Amino acid sequence: MEETHDNDTLPNNNPSTVQDITDELELRSKKYLRGEGANLKGLKDKKLRTQLSAREQLYGQSAKAAAKTEKWLMPSDGGYLEAEGIEKTWRIKQETIGREVDILSSRNQYDITLPDLGPYTLDFTSSGRYMAVGGRKGHLAIVDMMNLSLIREIQVRETVRDVVFLHNELFFAAAQKKYPYIYNRDGTELHCLKEHGAVLRLQFLENHFLLASTNKFGLLLYQDVTMGTIAGKYRTGLGRTNVMQVNPYNGVVSLGHSAGTVTMWKPTSSSPLVKMLCHQGPVSALAFHSNGHLMATAGKDKKIKLWDLRKFEAFQTLPGHANTLEFSQKGLLACGNGSYIQVLRDVSGAQNYSKYMTHSMVKGYQIGKLAFRPYEDVLGIGHSMGWSSILIPGAGEPNFDSWVANPFETPKQRREKEIHSLLDKLPPETIMLDPSKIGTVKQTRKEKLTVQEREAEIEAAVEAVKGKKLKKKTKGRSKAGKIMPKKQDAIATAKRPYLEQKIQEEKDISRKKQKTNEGVELPKSLQRFARKKPSS
Amino acid sequence: MADKKRKERPNANRAKKKSKSSDIRLKKTGPRLPSSLKKEIQTLNPNNVDIDDVDSDVYEYEEDLPEEESKKNKRYDPVSVNDDLDSDFEDEDVQSDDEIGDDDDENALDDGSGEEDDGRHVRMLQGITGMPTETFEGNKKTMMKNTAVPELYPESEYNPSRDVLDGDGHVSIEDLLNSLRENPDYHKLRKRSQQIENNARTVYAPLPMADQAKVDRKVAYEISKKQVTKWQPIIQRNREAPTIYFDDQINLGFSTIGAIASEFEPRTDFEKKMAALVHDDKVMEAHKNDGSRLLELNKVSIEDETDRQNRIAKMRSLLFRHEMKAKHVKKIKSRTYHRLLKKDRLKAESSQLEMDNEAAKEYAIKRDRQRVEERMTLRHKNNKWFQHIKHRGLDKQDEGTLAAVKELGQIRSELTRKQHSMYNSSSSSEDTSDDDDDENTVDSDLDKANKLLIKAKQKTMKVLEEDEEIPQSGLLSLPFMRRGLEKRRAETIEDVNLTLQEYEDSMKKLEDSGGSEDPKDASTSGRRVFGMAKAKTIDAGNNKVKLDKFYDNSDSEDDLDARKSGNFENGGSDLAQTDVVNNSVLNQEVVDTRKQSVFKNFDEIVENPGPKTTYEVSIFASDTWKKAKNRSGIDTDIKKSPKFTEPVSHNIKNTEKELEEDSDTDNEGQMVDGILTSASKPSYELPSQEELIRQAFAADDVENDFEKDKQEILNEENPEPEKPLLLPGWGQWTHVQQKKGLPSWMLKKHEDDQRKREEALKKRKDAQLKNVIISEKLSKKAEKLHTKSLPYPFTSKEVYDQSMRMPIGPEFNPAIAIGSLNRPEVVKKPGVIIKPVEFEEVNPHDKPEQRTVKNKSKKAKGSDSKAIKKSKVKGKS
Repeated sequence: MEETHDNDTLPNNNPSTVQDITDELELRSKKYLRGEGANLKGLKDKKLRTQLSAREQLYGQSAKAAAKTEKWLMPSDGGYLEAEGIEKTWRIKQETIGREVDILSSRNQYDITLPDLGPYTLDFTSSGRYMAVGGRKGHLAIVDMMNLSLIREIQVRETVRDVVFLHNELFFAAAQKKYPYIYNRDGTELHCLKEHGAVLRLQFLENHFLLASTNKFGLLLYQDVTMGTIAGKYRTGLGRTNVMQVNPYNGVVSLGHSAGTVTMWKPTSSSPLVKMLCHQGPVSALAFHSNGHLMATAGKDKKIKLWDLRKFEAFQTLPGHANTLEFSQKGLLACGNGSYIQVLRDVSGAQNYSKYMTHSMVKGYQIGKLAFRPYEDVLGIGHSMGWSSILIPGAGEPNFDSWVANPFETPKQRREKEIHSLLDKLPPETIMLDPSKIGTVKQTRKEKLTVQEREAEIEAAVEAVKGKKLKKKTKGRSKAGKIMPKKQDAIATAKRPYLEQKIQEEKDISRKKQKTNEGVELPKSLQRFARKKPSS
Repeated sequence: MADKKRKERPNANRAKKKSKSSDIRLKKTGPRLPSSLKKEIQTLNPNNVDIDDVDSDVYEYEEDLPEEESKKNKRYDPVSVNDDLDSDFEDEDVQSDDEIGDDDDENALDDGSGEEDDGRHVRMLQGITGMPTETFEGNKKTMMKNTAVPELYPESEYNPSRDVLDGDGHVSIEDLLNSLRENPDYHKLRKRSQQIENNARTVYAPLPMADQAKVDRKVAYEISKKQVTKWQPIIQRNREAPTIYFDDQINLGFSTIGAIASEFEPRTDFEKKMAALVHDDKVMEAHKNDGSRLLELNKVSIEDETDRQNRIAKMRSLLFRHEMKAKHVKKIKSRTYHRLLKKDRLKAESSQLEMDNEAAKEYAIKRDRQRVEERMTLRHKNNKWFQHIKHRGLDKQDEGTLAAVKELGQIRSELTRKQHSMYNSSSSSEDTSDDDDDENTVDSDLDKANKLLIKAKQKTMKVLEEDEEIPQSGLLSLPFMRRGLEKRRAETIEDVNLTLQEYEDSMKKLEDSGGSEDPKDASTSGRRVFGMAKAKTIDAGNNKVKLDKFYDNSDSEDDLDARKSGNFENGGSDLAQTDVVNNSVLNQEVVDTRKQSVFKNFDEIVENPGPKTTYEVSIFASDTWKKAKNRSGIDTDIKKSPKFTEPVSHNIKNTEKELEEDSDTDNEGQMVDGILTSASKPSYELPSQEELIRQAFAADDVENDFEKDKQEILNEENPEPEKPLLLPGWGQWTHVQQKKGLPSWMLKKHEDDQRKREEALKKRKDAQLKNVIISEKLSKKAEKLHTKSLPYPFTSKEVYDQSMRMPIGPEFNPAIAIGSLNRPEVVKKPGVIIKPVEFEEVNPHDKPEQRTVKNKSKKAKGSDSKAIKKSKVKGKS
């Protein structure tokens, strides 16, 4: 029979020998080392070399300690469905799973039917404790998922297109007919964000405290929710879209457009960072893996593509429509289409997604939004008749870090965390495709300096030298005749690097020219004697 | 002197004549003698002079003391000098063979007298050898002769020494000793000579000075190198250590106030005096006893007391006088005096202002404050006196008052004059949101209405202008879409025109609101008839037609009306009342973005007073669901007024319009449908026609479009070089030149540029990716997140980048690693004195991880050394 196996992706839990233990630790600590250290052999500076090697050693110790903590302090491992024999995991129905799991988990399988107020959209807080639901016809509610109690429910009496939690459950934003609004947990309207206009989709960037929205006119707008300033307001120029998703790794906002393109934006640039043609038809859905280098797109051309964002290449193309896509914390991909849900899983870890589970809603229910509940094996489904919740084994991260997201947060902890996160708020400039580049050496501009700029530079250097006062020396060493050559010397030394550079460049150019012109320069009659390059 | 001689001996070529020349040299090096004294010496010792003369010959090199020995400066380290001495001492007992004759005597003499004289010398020789003086004299003479001959060449077989030349052969020590047999010291001498003979060995000639110095230096270098290099491991360890600790083993100790006080030592005079008093034996004793003696000690002499009293009295009187003077000065009412005083004060102030920047700033601030105060209080404008004067009339005042008034004005103007230095005018940008500004108008009702109407008109015009934009690309640029858009725009223009007309009408109406209204006035437009004044007289038939028109014209109706209708319903159909309400409605309604005449609505409501409107109201209470309203209106029509001739056609029209509108409307349409049809039967409709079309045509030429896009962006980021351009007439004087075309350098440059561009394009990240555009723009705002150049010790970018890959914050590392990751380079407590490095044995090959252990041991060592120091101190004391 099928079962939910509690298994880890890492080697077996009870290693037999000491060797195994060390191997396992090494494997675990690799993750914390964040890549290889630089090759210090080539360093000439002895002092630096020893310093760096000491540093590397510290890093190694830190990683090892982290690996140990991970091993001993993480209470539970993730599980997944495993088929036996000719069984297929996707044949397993929710009912069968419900029969097998504990009562607490089986309580997570339910349908809530609210036929009146139209298709529903959902959003979870980062801890997965609270859920905000928004019905198209103005129904807004916050639900405590722990005990399934309704915290607040309001009727705004106008279209609600999207809801999103801000940094904690106290505030949420709803995209309504004309403007998005921010409500608090009690349903009190706090702000009306008129600048956004009629917003189609909202996203919140937790680390940057930015509320990103895209409206009817294809306008992408970032608003800082702490200060209320507009961090960025850009016309996409690609028509209206309601496909928008934040890459949780770097905070880059991606939009899917009707021309099959996906654009990625940051709040400090008016042009997209990346624009890629993903589909032949309009893009209907978009999702990011939490590790940041996996993107899933679905198009109307009946394709679902999985992209490696490090290479900007699609590594897998699957057939099928999807109105909504969602990655779980553990990397399961849920696609919703009509009243049918399909969950894909990367079984081998080699970027090869295959069908893992399926689920069919009652016929006629139109799925509008899928959302995995963080730290739980639960998939929330917002559809035209309310919302539902099903169990997807292996979806959520089994262990939560209470410093990051705590489902059992007390109000005091919440307050503390709010302050902490505010202090750690990242400025909008830090959003870039590769945030690990922060702190490294600035990319140099490729264009060479113009003649004037170069001259100005030389002049500045000369001026700086001229401005220096010479020491007053005795015994005739400060005579005008002695000082003059000294000054000239200093000026010459200041100029030298520039001149040398110039000469070098000229040399390079001439050499290049020679290379390129070798064949061309020869008169025709002699060309046959020219040495032929071993091409290919 | 003998000592000196000994020292000089290593110089081999000089050694021979040393015995003779030593005196002379002494003279030469010694203090300069007066000439008379010299003469005396000459008479005393004529030979000597001879020698001296000869010696000072040009050929003979006279060397004075070596510089090391002169000790004039300390350039020569003691070691090397010592070495010199050592070699000398070794020489002492050994003698060169060819010198025996002379040196032996000398040796013998060395023990005896210090001063020597030639005469005495001869006598002595005679005594030793028992030979007559003459022989020695002759010998001496020959010697003199010999010495007179300068030895230009070193002694060798080609240049034999004088002994050989004289032919008297070798004189051995034995020979010499034999004559001393009777001497009581003979034994000693013989023993010694035997000893020397037994240990005989060849003594090499000492090295020349320069070579000797070289060797010395070499040795000295080796030694000092050893001394210096022993520090190297310590220094290296310190350099390589990620952290250096300076705070190990500081015992702050436990200090109490008492302990500190006991250590107190009086230093200043005052303190010393105090201490003397406090520690006075008498006082102490008195304290120890009953304290009665303290009183005795307290005694003050009468003179002292009177002195003190006198002094105090004097001070008091001075103070009193000063006070009186101040009082007097204060009471002076003379204007001139005060004027002068003020002048003085101002002068001082202004001079200070000029001198002191700070004061100037303060002054400016003060001035500013005064200005603000003045502007707030209007003290010089609204004061009572001035008001009074004004009230009475300025022309009635006398000159003095007028002058005072004038002065007042001057003061005021001066005070309120703007200070340019302090403020720069800032204009607050006002947020003119459309809906907010018409709330606080205080004007009369009519004016308000009028204004509102004008504003509404402007707004509609604006809407009209805004609508004019036609999308250039995308789906909406398709021809049929465009046609549809145009059609719709024409409709809206028509609408807007009508509404504008309506506004005008209503404005007119407002203008002559009191006047009677002619129903025939409405001939220009059907709407007029619906004026509120006319409402009573409207008959049913009329109404029908008008309602028709209404539906034709208004595709965008306002839900506001619905609300109003609810209101009216509640109020019943009391026309008189609605008339009044209508006015207010008018005002409110114009505020809304979609303008509509309320009159009709009102009429309609009057026509259809159905109970079902309550339902509508509940749904459309919020003011924004325009489409829904339309529908509901129709619904009501259908239900309530069956007399309408063409309700179905309205419906059709409406749905058509809906389809033409953007997709948002059909969202609402769906929803409204859901509500209107039945709540229990929700269904997802097929995507609207528009959406279907969009989907169907969107995929058409996606790739080409993208390629074009990419090309554009590439051109923008790496612009194409300008085509070579020739100025007309330039280089085109003749047709020959023209034929040649552009100059070759221009073409070349263009080619170069092109090539460069291609290279740049090749280097782009998206060069290989056909369907991806990666922007290469550098963001200026993010510049501050990068370093401008490699930080100092790094020379390669990769190494630096790698070293930055690990975060070191507490969020990313386990608690045990944070401390060592973030420790500063130097750990030191404030107040700790950093002592110079002490020498200790360090294994230069030990690994850094052992160093931590080492540190600990070092700490232990520190305590040891402390103990040693303590013992040292003890030893000292």
